[in-house]
Amino acid sequence: MKTWALIVDTWREALARYTLLGFLAVSSLFLLILTFALNLDIVDGALAAGTLFGKAFDLPGKGPAIDTVVVTGQSVFAGMLYVLGVFLAVFATGSQVPNLQHRGTVDLYVTRPIGRTHLLLGRFLGAATLVTANLLFLCGGVFVVISLKTHVWNARFLAASGLILTVFLSYLGFMYLIGVLTSSTPLSIMLPYALYLLSLPLAAHDRVAAAMDSRLAASTIHTLYWVFPKTAEIGRDLTTYVLGKATPAFVPLATTVMFGAACLAVAVVAFNRKNF
Amino acid sequence: MDIPPTVIAVRRLTKEFRHWGRRLLALDRVDLEVHRGEVFGLLGANGAGKTTLVKILLGLARPTAGDVLVRGSSPRRPGTRRRIGYLPEGHRFPGYLTGDASLRLFGRLAGVPEKALDARIPELLELVGLGERRRDRVGRYSKGMTQRLGLACALLDEPDLLFLDEPTDGVDPVGRRHIRDILLQTREHGTTIFINSHLLSEVERTCDRVAILHEGRLVRQGTVQDLTAPSRRFRLRLADGQSMLPERLAEDGWRVVTNNGHLEIEVADLEALNRLVDRLRADRRLIAEISPVRTALEDVFIEVVEGEEHSPGSLENGSRTGVHGPGGDR
Repeated sequence: MKTWALIVDTWREALARYTLLGFLAVSSLFLLILTFALNLDIVDGALAAGTLFGKAFDLPGKGPAIDTVVVTGQSVFAGMLYVLGVFLAVFATGSQVPNLQHRGTVDLYVTRPIGRTHLLLGRFLGAATLVTANLLFLCGGVFVVISLKTHVWNARFLAASGLILTVFLSYLGFMYLIGVLTSSTPLSIMLPYALYLLSLPLAAHDRVAAAMDSRLAASTIHTLYWVFPKTAEIGRDLTTYVLGKATPAFVPLATTVMFGAACLAVAVVAFNRKNF
Repeated sequence: MDIPPTVIAVRRLTKEFRHWGRRLLALDRVDLEVHRGEVFGLLGANGAGKTTLVKILLGLARPTAGDVLVRGSSPRRPGTRRRIGYLPEGHRFPGYLTGDASLRLFGRLAGVPEKALDARIPELLELVGLGERRRDRVGRYSKGMTQRLGLACALLDEPDLLFLDEPTDGVDPVGRRHIRDILLQTREHGTTIFINSHLLSEVERTCDRVAILHEGRLVRQGTVQDLTAPSRRFRLRLADGQSMLPERLAEDGWRVVTNNGHLEIEVADLEALNRLVDRLRADRRLIAEISPVRTALEDVFIEVVEGEEHSPGSLENGSRTGVHGPGGDR
């Protein structure tokens, strides 16, 4: 019941602070655009004609097979949702720990007969359910709209939302650590974005390190690559997976999950040791 | 749960805060015991260390040294905090919750069964006078209402130990009396109450025993009766129309003070008091009242604090100012 109370509390907070509504509004807008702006005519399993925002595609001769068009389109959407989904989710949950640690509020929570680990992980679970629901709405909505319009049901696209969620949960672990250590909402939101951006150059760590003059700098680049989430690589894997060309590589995903788990573990230890 | 006779036992408790290399001694070898069913008041000026002590007793902060036992076990263990109510100073309920939802959330976190909450929440909100505002968001409550909601939350778990940090802070006089009545009612059920306050008159009216904390040290403790024991000073009132000039009594060697229109005379012992009565009766004065003057807790507090500040062993003021620990009051 205590865990349930914490999950409900997280949802209430997200609802009251309009973050849940904001997330749903942006997702709904995206879905509406997709529903009404994209029109496809399919003849004999091939795309005969199509419009986006009322503007016709140029389709030379007989159009490509609809399966190819849909899967390619879904791959592009998956890449977009990967960026948009994580961006929105970080924004929606960034204030969670700092709000919990407000002076006068934390006393009310921590003095209940509930362990601090339980308290923090209960909130984490609340955030995870919140973001799962939102991602399912966004990704599931895109999947349903495209599939209904084209009658092509590519389950890989739906499975991709699992990857997006996994990456987000790793970021959430990091956000919890920043939140526990600093009690700052701006930092809890900015630092994950910084990490997200940092993953772009780090994906090319071999080439970046090779360009370095000192061995120390090169080693630092490699270390950062192995420690931090491999967001860019997972994003690339995600799109190729939706295309059906490859399954996501294990190592980038595993090390990203390990990063999140380690951050969450340190956050729990720090929260337990903290004086309020 | 079997409650031991000593509900709170504190031995040589020390708490030191470090802030940018500076060390701040918030509590210095404090020894304290609170017994079952007692209403205990912790007094101290702002920054004396009261809130820090309460936070350690509730497991919110860790002691630097010393032992703390609450009902025989460490307050850091979640199980110890079962059936302990706490009204923190300057508490802030999540503003997005209604009064009703706040109590439900914290009741669930305390492990109170859902059915019990259904019955207890409306009852408690009525008790603290928030029955009609139960569906309003806490963000719209006044300070006094928030304080009363905090009290309801502290009472939710039917506590056998209740910690109240400045319980009447921001509450008007009528509300204060209401809170006092609730506390006295709670005490009748055998609840041990630990009140942390600098409102001495409130403490004097409510508590059985008090301790005075000054600059992190426990400088005096005892029952309210003992601390405010009758002095050798007596209030003397003559019948209407009769007067006795204080100067004349002073000439006769009596130590006389005029206080609010009454004569207060300090005597060495009862013999001396009776000699004074004989003297007045010999002068055919009609005595209407002789009563011992009790020292108010406020007088005791000020005397103790001033005495500590002037004593050679007291800490240098500068060594304790400027830096505050996590607790507002330390």
